[in-house]
Amino acid sequence: MSWRQTVVGLTAVALVACYAPTLRGMFEQWLNDEDMSHGFLVPIVMLWIVWRERARRRGLETDPNWWGFAILTAAAGLQFAGLLGAGLFAGSVALLVSVAGSVLCLGGLAWLRVLAFPLVLAIFMLPKLAVVYNQATLPLQLLASRIAAGILTFGGIGVIREGNILAVSGHRVAVVEACNGIRYLLPLSFMAVVFAYVSDSKPWMRLVLLAAAVPIAILANAVRVAAAGWVPALEGGVPHAVCGLFIFVLCVATLMLFRQLFNKVYVRYQS
Amino acid sequence: MNKLTALLLWSTLSLSLNAQISLGPTVATFGVLAGSTVTNSGPTVVTGNLGVSPGTAITGFTGIAPGGPGTVTGTIDSANATAAQAQTELTAAYNSAAGAAVTATKAGDLGGQTLFPGVYMSTSTLGITGTLTLDAQGNANAQFIFQIASALTTATSSSVVLINGANAANVFWQIGSSATLGTSSTFAGDILALSSISLGTGAVLSGRALARNGAVTLLSNTITTPAGSGGATPTPAPSTLILGAAALACIGIYQTRERLLKAFRRN
Repeated sequence: MSWRQTVVGLTAVALVACYAPTLRGMFEQWLNDEDMSHGFLVPIVMLWIVWRERARRRGLETDPNWWGFAILTAAAGLQFAGLLGAGLFAGSVALLVSVAGSVLCLGGLAWLRVLAFPLVLAIFMLPKLAVVYNQATLPLQLLASRIAAGILTFGGIGVIREGNILAVSGHRVAVVEACNGIRYLLPLSFMAVVFAYVSDSKPWMRLVLLAAAVPIAILANAVRVAAAGWVPALEGGVPHAVCGLFIFVLCVATLMLFRQLFNKVYVRYQS
Repeated sequence: MNKLTALLLWSTLSLSLNAQISLGPTVATFGVLAGSTVTNSGPTVVTGNLGVSPGTAITGFTGIAPGGPGTVTGTIDSANATAAQAQTELTAAYNSAAGAAVTATKAGDLGGQTLFPGVYMSTSTLGITGTLTLDAQGNANAQFIFQIASALTTATSSSVVLINGANAANVFWQIGSSATLGTSSTFAGDILALSSISLGTGAVLSGRALARNGAVTLLSNTITTPAGSGGATPTPAPSTLILGAAALACIGIYQTRERLLKAFRRN
């Protein structure tokens, strides 16, 4: 093992030791919160991308940049604030900033540029920011209820909406927190960015697909709620889970079609 | 792959070990349930069903003789099979809550405190003056269980505030005698009382008033059964781990198809 590999290994061990409480908190949230359990997949995909990009790193010059220490110091301050009570989110952001700072310190700007995409992807494994989540939850629940009621009415099915409750032919469906669409939105956004990366060389496509994922996820979630309202058999158990999964796969297929469409428009515009 | 399987198995086991208290499907539809009588004065609104069993007397509500200013959005069940079933389920939920493993003991007044998910026990009475905050720390499934050996009394204008994803459907107050909510107070959670429950004038309850043996007395109150369990079926989406894995599988299939198409075109 070369001295450089040793330094990289020691830095990794030091980061894990410094951020152990944060890593444990993130792991517990992935384990206990079904809105965030996709966090387990993010590091796996990040490592796969790092491996996939190995050819780009071959022959890359090492040019340590002292600005990395400034970034590490800022991250340490953020982690300290997290430990004082700013919460898990602050600590997790500090962890990502520390990793970026370490790459800059040890490898330099060229290395940071090569590893930028997997590092940005790590945003998807950050814990919930409670302030934002709590503000978004109820509006999203009501939006899903309204759209689902609209879909049912459009389909000729009588529905009465009371806030987040839909009364459809003798049974009632509640759009609770877990139905607010976040569970579609987060994995679909993650998938959009990863899909754009593997299927398209144009960096703007990642942003376009990410933007397209938001309305698709919200609409698909409302369709899922409407389906549960329309067919009582889909209200719970295995049929409900299968229906939710099936509609999500349709979302993924829609996003793939969008990518082809955007690509065709782009090619036509270029020619 | 084996490690991932082990991780998934371990997470499933961990989740199953965290036993959760839940109301039975019948009692969950009730906003108010009493053992002897339900008495109301003033324009009370109960979202959900209202019932009594084994007693029969319900007074002060539109839809049941002699009528009254109170309204019930669901059905009124007086000493019928539905109310009896709800009482059976209430007893089961009461016993489950009473038997939950205690995480902390509390005494005196809970006002001004912020509590995290857990099981809190009091060996005598408990009170709430001012604000009690229940912080779920971002876990929408987190439960708060209060085991109170004697009475629960809340002061005038006191409130129970739910933050960070805390849900009234996941707050249970198991009370060994009676509960009294103060005038203009705001309260959250399901009250499972062995004896009676009294709501002061204008008190707002986001939860249920469920009394096993005694009466429920209401005075111009608003009782809202928590969304998602009050007779309506919640429709949660699958976990993001399952959806994320499905999305990655789709990308894999798409990429394989593209590669095969390219190879086919080359040949």
